[in-house]
Amino acid sequence: MASLSSSFWNTASREAMKSGVFIAKLYCFLHVTTNYLGFMAYAYGPSMIPTLHPSGNVLLAERISKRYQKPSRGDIVVIRSPENPNKTPIKRVVGIEGDCISFVIDPVKSDESETIVVPKGHVFVQGDYTHNSRDSRNFGPVPYGLIQGRVLWRVWPFQDFGPLGPTPT
Amino acid sequence: MTPTLHPSGNVLLAERISKRYQKPSRGDIVVIRSPENPNKTPIKRVVGIEGDCISFVIDPVTSDIYQTIVVPKGHVFVQGDYTHNSRDSRNFGPVPYGLIQGRVLWRV
Repeated sequence: MASLSSSFWNTASREAMKSGVFIAKLYCFLHVTTNYLGFMAYAYGPSMIPTLHPSGNVLLAERISKRYQKPSRGDIVVIRSPENPNKTPIKRVVGIEGDCISFVIDPVKSDESETIVVPKGHVFVQGDYTHNSRDSRNFGPVPYGLIQGRVLWRVWPFQDFGPLGPTPT
Repeated sequence: MTPTLHPSGNVLLAERISKRYQKPSRGDIVVIRSPENPNKTPIKRVVGIEGDCISFVIDPVTSDIYQTIVVPKGHVFVQGDYTHNSRDSRNFGPVPYGLIQGRVLWRV
């Protein structure tokens, strides 16, 4: 059996290095993009009906606006949950710092409402489908630092491809 | 954070790996993103983890009144070592895990 010549290994290792460098560059590009520019999010669950489908949506979220301005009322934001840092729920900003928010604590059970003032540096988020949503009515106002990004666009399902704006659609 | 950290400045090394796999423990010095101002990253010590019942003197400078709270799930109670002059969880409440940036390992 003929053994492989050293020039074979030379070219093979050069090709491997080129692929390695390409993969490293691709990884760096993706890392910078998803952490500093924008990222895709898969959203499922009933808490944002009718804006988002309960069975799943692929959304495009951006991270740029949160560096330069505060979130505004009506934005849909991806947050890191204050209850479990491995979860990233997607809710709508209903109140910004200083707002006086009145909300029904649990529309399923009763009509009793509660009124709070959103503290400085926090936002009050709420799902569009208040009957089945864990949001600031449960875990309180969310500090700005937990906001991961602002949802801009729905990519899938394709028949609803388009921007997601401040008013519930 | 006197006397642990010099008030005139320290260069510290913090790591982000442990926060992915385990919860912070009591006594860790952590870098957090402030719940009051997301552009600031104070460095405090974890005094209580979720479920702990913490009794603390609200403002040692002005009076002796203290308060007792239970740290909610998913949060830690952070406090500066020099309680007389520190804005920490006694002011802005327990901090959720998601706001912890890293754990301080080393003074350089």
